[in-house]
Amino acid sequence: MPNFFIRISPDNTITFLCARSEMGQGTSTGLAMIAADELGVDMDQIEIEFSTGSSERYGNMQDTGGSNGIRMQWPALRKAIATTRELLILAACNKWEVLPKDCYCEKGIVNHRLSEKKAAFGELLEIASTLAAPKDVKLKEPCEFKYIGKSIIGPKTKLAATGRTNYSLNLKFEDMLYAAIERCPVWGGRLVSFNDDKARRVPGVIEVVQVKPLEEQPDDYKGGVRHGVAVLASNTWAAFEGKKALEIQWDGGANAKKSDEDIKRELIQDSLSNNDISLEIDEANRVFKKGDDFFSAYYSSPFQANACMEPLNATAYHRGHKIEIWAGTQSPSITRDRISELMGLPPAAITVNNLPSGGGFGRRFFTDYVEEAVVLSNHFRKPVKVTWTREDTLATSKNHPYWVDNWEASLDNKGVPIAFKYKGAIAGPSGFTPFPYGIPTTFYRPLGYRYPRLLPRASWRSVAAHPWGLSLESFIDELAHRARIDPLEFRIGLLKNADVVEQVFEPWVGDDLYPDKLGNTLEIAAEKANWGVGKERGIYQGVSSISYNTSYCTQIVDLSIVGEDILKIHKVTAVVDCGLVINPSQATAQVEGSIVWGLTALLKNPITVRNGRVQQRNFDTYELLKMAEVPEIEVYFVDNENAPTGIGELAVPGLAPAVLNAVYAATGKRIRDLPLKQPKIV
Amino acid sequence: MKTIKINGEDHSLDVPGNVPLLWVLRDFLELTGTKYSCGIGVCGACTVLIDGKPVRSCSRSLDSLSNNNVVTIEGLGEEERLHELQKAWIENDVPQCGYCQSGQIMSALALLSVNADPSDADINQAMAGNLCRCGTYLRIRKAIKQAASMLRNTKNDISIKTIGNKGHKSLLP
Repeated sequence: MPNFFIRISPDNTITFLCARSEMGQGTSTGLAMIAADELGVDMDQIEIEFSTGSSERYGNMQDTGGSNGIRMQWPALRKAIATTRELLILAACNKWEVLPKDCYCEKGIVNHRLSEKKAAFGELLEIASTLAAPKDVKLKEPCEFKYIGKSIIGPKTKLAATGRTNYSLNLKFEDMLYAAIERCPVWGGRLVSFNDDKARRVPGVIEVVQVKPLEEQPDDYKGGVRHGVAVLASNTWAAFEGKKALEIQWDGGANAKKSDEDIKRELIQDSLSNNDISLEIDEANRVFKKGDDFFSAYYSSPFQANACMEPLNATAYHRGHKIEIWAGTQSPSITRDRISELMGLPPAAITVNNLPSGGGFGRRFFTDYVEEAVVLSNHFRKPVKVTWTREDTLATSKNHPYWVDNWEASLDNKGVPIAFKYKGAIAGPSGFTPFPYGIPTTFYRPLGYRYPRLLPRASWRSVAAHPWGLSLESFIDELAHRARIDPLEFRIGLLKNADVVEQVFEPWVGDDLYPDKLGNTLEIAAEKANWGVGKERGIYQGVSSISYNTSYCTQIVDLSIVGEDILKIHKVTAVVDCGLVINPSQATAQVEGSIVWGLTALLKNPITVRNGRVQQRNFDTYELLKMAEVPEIEVYFVDNENAPTGIGELAVPGLAPAVLNAVYAATGKRIRDLPLKQPKIV
Repeated sequence: MKTIKINGEDHSLDVPGNVPLLWVLRDFLELTGTKYSCGIGVCGACTVLIDGKPVRSCSRSLDSLSNNNVVTIEGLGEEERLHELQKAWIENDVPQCGYCQSGQIMSALALLSVNADPSDADINQAMAGNLCRCGTYLRIRKAIKQAASMLRNTKNDISIKTIGNKGHKSLLP
C-alpha cells in the first residue's frame, strides 16, 4: 500500500517524505517528529527527503505558506502513518499467528509482547503488500509521544552547522549554463533595444538572449516574468559580469514617472472616501450612529522586500518531452501546474524537485524565477541555472505592498467603542477572519492602489496581518488612552464578552477564533512582563494582542528613555497559544525570528520608488537588523494539548504596535506611519 | 594555472585572475559551504579565513592570493569531528534557514582565535558584519559563548586545524 509520507525499504531504511517546504521554519523536523512518534521509529533512523510537487498526492497540503504546515498536516499525516504502522503489525500477526493487540512498534521493529518475537519493518513488506489497509486506526495518545513536545535537534540544523545544506544555488550539472538576467527596472515596462557586444567579450560568456514574458499582461501574483536580457555563461561570475556589461534601452511605460509617495497619497484618499462595503452588518451601521463620540485614525506601512539570504534561483532542464526543475520553492505543486500550463506539457511530464530554501518568507511562493529558468532551458535544451544577483532581488522582485488602514470608532459616554468601521488591508469575508474584539464592524473592500500597480505583489512574512495588526492594535491603544483605561485591561474588557469568530474560508474552517484564548495570553503576559510596575525604574511598556491564522500572541515591549528623543528597547515578552507545541526550540526560534523581522520593518529603510524604480540596491541601502540591535526576548507558550496551530509568522504583526504603544507611553507621541524615524531607537 | 591552498590542500586552477575567491570556491572547486548573498562585502555570508583573518571572499580576487592559507567551513569539521563552534551551534539549535551560518561560524572562529572569553559587546562588534534574515542573532551569541567556554575548559589549542576537503561530499544529484 503506498503511503506518500513514508518509504520503507527491505533493508529497513525508513525515509520520511516531507511534503512541506523547508525554508528555516523547521517544518521538516517537526513533521518528521510527528511521523516518528506515530510509526514507532527513532529520529536518527529516519532519513528526510522532500516530496516532488504533486497536487494529486497532497492536495492543497504541500504548498507552504500562512503558517499552515503543521496545522494542516497534523491530522492527515498522523492517520496515514498510523495506517502504515497497523498494517505492519497485521503483517507480523499474519506471520506469527498472534493478535494485533499483543504487538507494538518501536525503533522500526514490530515486537510481540508475549514472546521474544521481533521483525524489522523491512522484513514485513512482502506480507504487508498483500493485505488490505486497515480502516479507523487508533492514533497515539499524548502519553505515548517520545518526541512531540521535546526540543529535538533535526537534521537541518546539523547540515547547516557544517555548511552542507543542499540549497538549489549549489547545483551543478555537466553542460549546465549559468544565467543572469537584466530585467526591466520598471514594472510593466518593456525592452526597446540592447547591445551585447561588451557582454559577449567577458571571458566565460557563451550566449546572450532576450527574455520575454509568456503572457502579455502577467498577473502580479501569478507569473510576473519581466522583460529582460539573459546572459548565459560557463560560471555564475561570468554571467554577472556579462549582465553588467549589457547596454539596454527600456521603455518604462505607465509607471515610469511614479513614486511610492504617489501610492501613499492615492491610498489615503481612498481610505477617506466612501469605498464599497464588503461586509455590511446591520447592527454595525445602526449602532455606529448612536455614539456619544467618534474617533478615527489611519496607519501606513511601506513597500518591503523579503530579502531572503539565498538569492532567488532555479535550475531547469527542458528536454522537449519532459521538464525537470530544481528549486527552493514554497509552492512545488502550484509550480508544476503553472509550468504545465505555460509549456503545454501534462503535469506528469514535469518534475519539481523541492530543495531547502535559504529563507522564503512568502517570496518563494511565486513562480516567476522558476519560469525564467524553464523558458531559457527550453531555448537551449540544456540545464540552465538562473541566479538573481542581490541587486535583482531588491530592484526587480515582487514586494509587500504599500498599505493604508483606516479605523473609525463610535464610542459610548465612557469612551468604550460600540461600533467600528474599517477600510484597509483585510476584507471582511476572505481568508482568516482575525477580528477578536466582538464589536460590530462594517468592513469595506480592501484598498487596492490604482492600476497599473507600481510594484508587483508577493507575500511577505505575515502578509496583510502586518498592516492589520499595526492599525488595529495601535487604534485600540489610542482608544484606551482616550478613555483613560489601562490598555491591557481595556483589551481584556473588550474580549470578555466577545463571541467566537467562526471561520468560513478554507483552509481555516474548523479552527475558529476564540477571544478568550487571546485574553488568556494577555493575562499571562501581564504577569510575566510585570505589566504596569516598571515606571519607577524608568521602564515604559506597550502591548499588542493578535489572532493570526488560528494562533494567539500577546507581546509586551519594555523600553526606556536614554536621551533627548532617543529610546532603548530592553525586552520583548511574547506569550503564545499555538495549541500543542511540537518542538519548543523551533517554535521559540520562530517567535524570536518574527520579532527580529518586525523590528527590521519598524526601524530600517523600506523599499522606496522614484520614477518607477526601486531605490534600494543592496544590503547597504536595504539594511537588516544587526545582532547588537536585538533586545532580550522572552517567549512563553500556553500549555495545552489542543491540535497544533501555526507559529511561523504569528509574532510579526504585533511587534510594531507593541513598540509604538510603548513609545506613546514614554513620550506621548503617537506614531502612525512605518518606519519609525523619530524618536530614534537604539 | 594558479595554485591556491584551501583547507590545507593545494588546488591548481585555470581560472581568470579577476574571479572572486567566492566563485572560485563555489563554481570551480564545488566547495559550496561558502555562500553568495550580497557580492559587495556587507552581509558576511561568504566569510572565509585567510591566514586566520576573516575575509569576505566575494571581494577578494583570485589574483590577490599567493601563498595564503584559506580556510572554509568545509575545513572546519565534519559530522564525526565537529569543531566546538559547530557543536555549540547544534546544541543551541541556532540555524533556521542556515544560509548565513557558514559565514557566521567563520567570523566567530576568527573572534575566538584572538579572544578566548568574549563579552556580549565583543561578540556584537565582531559579528556586526554578518547579517541573518531569520533572526538567529541571540542564539548565535549564546553559542559563541558556549563554544568559548568549551574551548577554554578543554584547554584546546584554538589555532585552526583543518581537516582538508575530504569531508566534502558532493551534493550533486
